[in-house]
Amino acid sequence: MATSRATHLTNGSPTGLPQGLPHNAAQGTTQGTTQGRPQTAGPAGATRSAGGAAAVEFAGVTRSYGAVRAVRGLDLKIAAGETVALLGRNGAGKSTTLNMLLGLLPPSSGTVRLFGGEPEAAVRAGRVGAMLQDGRPIPRVTVRELVAFVAATYPRPMDVDEALELAGLGEFGGRRVDRLSGGQAQRVRCAVALAGNPELLVLDEPTVALDVEARRAFWRSMRAYARRGNTIVFSTHYLEEADDHADRILVIDGGRVVADGSGEAIKRGTGGSLVSFDLAGAPTETLRALPGVSAVEIRSDRAQLRTADSDATVLALAELGLIRGLEVAPADLEDAFLALTGAPSSLSASPSSPSSPSSPKETA
Amino acid sequence: MLDYILLEVRRTLRDRSFVVFGTGMPVLMYVLMTNIGMGPDGAPMEWKIASMVGMAAYGALGPAIGVGTGVAEDKQLGWLRQLRITPLSPIRVVVARGLTSTVTVLPALAAVLLAGALVNGVRMPGWQWVALAAVLWLGTAPFTLLGLGNGYRLSSQSTGLVNTGCMLLLSVIGGLWFPAELFPGWLRSLSSWTPGNRFAELGRSVTEGGAPGLATVAVLAAWLALFGGYAVYAYRRAARTV
Repeated sequence: MATSRATHLTNGSPTGLPQGLPHNAAQGTTQGTTQGRPQTAGPAGATRSAGGAAAVEFAGVTRSYGAVRAVRGLDLKIAAGETVALLGRNGAGKSTTLNMLLGLLPPSSGTVRLFGGEPEAAVRAGRVGAMLQDGRPIPRVTVRELVAFVAATYPRPMDVDEALELAGLGEFGGRRVDRLSGGQAQRVRCAVALAGNPELLVLDEPTVALDVEARRAFWRSMRAYARRGNTIVFSTHYLEEADDHADRILVIDGGRVVADGSGEAIKRGTGGSLVSFDLAGAPTETLRALPGVSAVEIRSDRAQLRTADSDATVLALAELGLIRGLEVAPADLEDAFLALTGAPSSLSASPSSPSSPSSPKETA
Repeated sequence: MLDYILLEVRRTLRDRSFVVFGTGMPVLMYVLMTNIGMGPDGAPMEWKIASMVGMAAYGALGPAIGVGTGVAEDKQLGWLRQLRITPLSPIRVVVARGLTSTVTVLPALAAVLLAGALVNGVRMPGWQWVALAAVLWLGTAPFTLLGLGNGYRLSSQSTGLVNTGCMLLLSVIGGLWFPAELFPGWLRSLSSWTPGNRFAELGRSVTEGGAPGLATVAVLAAWLALFGGYAVYAYRRAARTV
């Protein structure tokens, strides 16, 4: 994971992405973020991104199911070669967004373009591969037969052995798809998505059934695939996954983009640190006005301030004589996420991060 | 598209119970119905031939309609959705699926005709055997379309039931099990309008040395159009949600 974080930081920081702030979020933040973005790949990337059109572009896209508006006004642009995470809670509109991206679901209004054309055209041309969330293995076919069949439908497929290898299925080629474990079946879906050697790879919650080890191997393969100049768009509700593996995170909530940028930018944008202390009955009205503070939360007799400048905030607190049981912690993406979406309840914390800092802070 | 047909044929023929029951049932029924309770001399040759045609038709009807059961299963598993994001066009997927039945009907068809020749000693000139197999093979088209329509329209479980129901109903009313001559008058006239009956009629006319009548071809063509329309309608409806 150390290497992944390193690549993430070097990819993420120097691009100078604007911070995705909650209040200016839904529209306009994506403009400019993708333009002039350095291609992460070598020659392959150069040839693949030829043509100049964004790999994915949503303009004013909405989607309703009856009276429910699952997606309400989505504008986004993903350049060729980017690895982008759609991060959001269950029901935030991630799957609806991806289904529209793939042309499986027509938008109620607005337009979706892939490589400058209709999604269907990009799919017919074999430029898209996808791992859908609800796909289950079909019976009575071997892994190799299935992957070879899918590969053969594409104009420039990947070698079948290579696809199996990348998906971590090296030794399972001869096994029947319906006799695999859940995690192995998930890898088959991954191999099916990769088989056509697509320029755009779409992964809807790709690691749900994988254990930690398999998850790590999966992302290693995906990074290798992205390095060839391919575009990867994945959805997740694991914060760490988005932070570790995406160049750019789109935080989706209530059917719109509420933040857009690298993990670092999003953390900065929502206030870099959390300052907490015991109130001991002190008045709380003035806390919001302290320097750097963007949000105040009072829990029993303890105040937690979200601040962009923890030094200034602490100095101001000292002047007010409020330093009691003081604690300063850097905000992590989870804090940023909660600040952006304002609803802690249904978000899954990443199972592979027992050291999640939220619990000690809350009980402190 | 050929790849897809091959994949589906392989998947179908690997379903052991499908092959065993789909082929074994019509053969078993044919042998029983032409050898039990027929006295020491056995059944008359006309019945052996008529029943052979009827049972071969019944045997072919199952896998033809059954194509739709597979479609419903794949729809439920999300496989049809996955296919929609490959370069394979949706219409090719449907056509390939339909063409799959041209292969999967063959085992049952061949098995019953073989039983006729080997067990019951049916003898016909070579061209009649070939023509009989050919018309029974081609005549499965309306049933394939009916099955596809059900598969796209209905859920996986109900497709299994509805397709089996259709198969039994069309077989019995069509006179594939018991000759329609035994039916009461009203049922007999109803039977002559059903696709199952006319399907077997195709084969019977060949065994009698003639070409299928115009009425038979017309009735089958009408069913072909009707079931084809139903399949298109069901597919269009499903395409919005698949």
